[in-house]
Amino acid sequence: MKQISKRYPNGVLANDNVNIDLNEGELLAIVGENGAGKSTIMKILYGLEHPTGGEIFIHGKPQVFKNPQSAMKQGIGMVQQNFMLLPPFSIAENVVYGSEPKKMGVFFDRKKAVDEVRQLSGQYGLSIDPTLLIKNCAVGLQQRCEILKVLYQNARIIIFDEPSAVLTPQEVEGLLDTLRQLAGMGKSIILITHKLNEVMAVADRCVIMRGGRHIATLNTGETSIQELSSLMVGRQIVDKEIPKLDKGHCVLKVKNLSLSGPAGQSIVRNCSLNVDSGEIVGIAGVSGNGQTELLHMLVGLLKPDDGEILLNGKEQSGGEVRTIRDAGCAYVPEDRNTMGAALDATLTETLLMAHQYKKELNRHGILNHKSAEESFAALLKEYNVLHSSLKQKSGELSGGNLQKLIVAREISHNAKLLVISEPTRGVDIGAMEFIHNRLIEQRSDGAAILLVSSDLSEILKLSDRIYVMYEGRINGEIMREEANAENVGILMMGGVRHDKAV
Amino acid sequence: MIKQYNIKSLAVRFAQIFTQPLIAILIGLTIGAAVILIAGENPLNTYIKMFEGAFFSPFYFMQTLTRAVPVTVCSIAIIMAWRAGYINLGVEGQMITGSFVGTIVSIYSPLPTALTVMIAVACGLAAGALLAVFAAFINDKFNVSIVISTLMMNYVASYITSYFITFPLRDTSNDLAIQTKEIPDVMRLPRLIEGNTLNFGFIITVVLVALFVFINYKSNFGYESKMTGLNPVFAQYGGVKRRKVMYMSMALSGALAATAGMLEVFGVKYRFAEAMFTSTGYAWTGLMSGLISSLHPVGAFVTSVFLSGLQVGGQSVQRTINIPLQVATLIQATITLFVSIRLLAHFRAHRKSKIPKGNIKGKGAGDA
Repeated sequence: MKQISKRYPNGVLANDNVNIDLNEGELLAIVGENGAGKSTIMKILYGLEHPTGGEIFIHGKPQVFKNPQSAMKQGIGMVQQNFMLLPPFSIAENVVYGSEPKKMGVFFDRKKAVDEVRQLSGQYGLSIDPTLLIKNCAVGLQQRCEILKVLYQNARIIIFDEPSAVLTPQEVEGLLDTLRQLAGMGKSIILITHKLNEVMAVADRCVIMRGGRHIATLNTGETSIQELSSLMVGRQIVDKEIPKLDKGHCVLKVKNLSLSGPAGQSIVRNCSLNVDSGEIVGIAGVSGNGQTELLHMLVGLLKPDDGEILLNGKEQSGGEVRTIRDAGCAYVPEDRNTMGAALDATLTETLLMAHQYKKELNRHGILNHKSAEESFAALLKEYNVLHSSLKQKSGELSGGNLQKLIVAREISHNAKLLVISEPTRGVDIGAMEFIHNRLIEQRSDGAAILLVSSDLSEILKLSDRIYVMYEGRINGEIMREEANAENVGILMMGGVRHDKAV
Repeated sequence: MIKQYNIKSLAVRFAQIFTQPLIAILIGLTIGAAVILIAGENPLNTYIKMFEGAFFSPFYFMQTLTRAVPVTVCSIAIIMAWRAGYINLGVEGQMITGSFVGTIVSIYSPLPTALTVMIAVACGLAAGALLAVFAAFINDKFNVSIVISTLMMNYVASYITSYFITFPLRDTSNDLAIQTKEIPDVMRLPRLIEGNTLNFGFIITVVLVALFVFINYKSNFGYESKMTGLNPVFAQYGGVKRRKVMYMSMALSGALAATAGMLEVFGVKYRFAEAMFTSTGYAWTGLMSGLISSLHPVGAFVTSVFLSGLQVGGQSVQRTINIPLQVATLIQATITLFVSIRLLAHFRAHRKSKIPKGNIKGKGAGDA
């Protein structure tokens, strides 16, 4: 029996008197919005942060973790969202890194390492070739390697932080199987996630947190996704109806767009697509299959090698970012920290980007800060972005709030074409609902929306039409009525549609 | 209630900005004190003399302000480029080139005075700006680091002008000094008080600082260059033309550097002389005040006055006590070192986050 209870009152009160207990061989899910305190409490358990009150018990004995090493000694391991792997080294080398088997006490025993990892993978049914180099592994395999790393450290409690965020639907299935298997072999699993369907699929019990507080612990057998989500947000979540719209006119037409990388490898191959007004077109695909580059060509950040981009019938291929923006294109980039904002800039400065040429804000090169601040204050209020002042730095906002700010900034262009990538990555369910509703409103107002997301459920929920990208090419097009996780998932893995193949 | 909060947050901000420079100044003075002790003098006594000889006597305070003119203008020249993410270490070379061209035009132009002044100033500004723009150009076309090229061009500028004033353009009436003739009387900047070197250049400096604040905080160019400096990928994403910002900010930086040199020539020395800018180290003191003030122009102005005071005070201490001027320079360097540790850590953290994922069109359309 492991009794972990924790009390954590501090200035910010990230965790307020949270009690969590975990049994051996149990799969416990922790759900909550961003800022609900899930990460904080897991960081405390993993020794990355120290509680200001309360105690941790393992097998009834009180424990104090000064750092992750001491937590690891007590059998606590964590599979991080961002993998901590060394790409040029093999899986075996990565797994044993930190406690390598030694020859004569000094030299690294590679053969033994490979054997040990092979044995470990056999023991837990995580089939893997230990000699493969990390850089040649798919994301799913890399994650498997991370899990093996934790198992190699003899962890009995394993924390998974948003493990499915980077995986394809098929890989997610595999992961969930692995989780069940590990729990079956007596490991205790803590799963932190936003995705309630995964919770329902694998967890025994589920802890719901909100505003730093422990709201409830439920047996998953006795609850429903609806109950969990309303407990998480503190109110009822209603999926907004997506109204049927008549077919609009063509806003974006892309013909045979291609791009090669610096080494001559093909990144985007002969992509053709079109987006009409009043339509959300989704591009599904595992990250890194050319979606980012495709979008960067559309918005002018990359020059295509070949092909045409017609925005409202006008050729824009290879144009400057500003020309394309002026022609009616707004863009929410996938990475809010490196492209969507300058973290050391103030909120005003962050919101001003690409608005600075507008007549009402710019007279002969002099910016009207006052009127900008007035309209930005209203915008942030409308989008419910939690902030203390327009002068604070955008890096001080939480991820979800910064994302809402960027979405607000781009939507407020009222552009004919809205290109939007990963609009809800790392964003909590409340903000996600909000952003989705805004996109649906834009669609009703006649905007053409091109949506790229590695979250398949998001694509399936919003898109009127779905293109699937695989290895830089469009591997299929599916209408809303026919699309489901299975047939889109197969296309994402490079397969072909059954109904067409037969 | 709300007002109270604002005052509190203002105080916090104030403390955040000034804590590190103040600590650095204390460390600098402490290390200086140690050196003075080793030299066998009383540090407290020396410091009192030093500050008396820099700030508390009207005559010397005006000396300090005179010296602060080129230092301040150099520091805003550096800040202008640095804000946009380009480190212009060639301010010295640009100030040499600009003031040399300005001086030569004013001496040898056959045109009427008013016209000559305008042309001389315009040529001087253009020369400084061109030198800086050349660094931007070879960065743009051949990917040569701006830090390196600007730094190297300091030597080029210094030695080429040295040739001209040693041979063809030398004032032959004086065999000892290597220098040009004096500029005509009518072109000299008027002194503010008779008998002191403080001149109209100081007022020009104050105006330049004010103008700089206006451009950088109110204009679109200031906004775009700041964003480019903070995150070039973000700026590019928003439609800012990176190359335009680079050329503009480097040109302005070079023109400001030329201004600093010309203010010294037209306001104090009235001629261009061998090593007049390299031996005084105006540009490097300007770099230090830019760093100490975290690239804030008004802060840089105040810091420039302070650092100039250290030098002027150091000179007066050298005359009365057995402490060399180098102690003042040592204090100055220590302060900068302790302030810039934070600044550079900050800068490097930025650089890391700036590395674009995928292959963003990094260098403009040219090589895509």
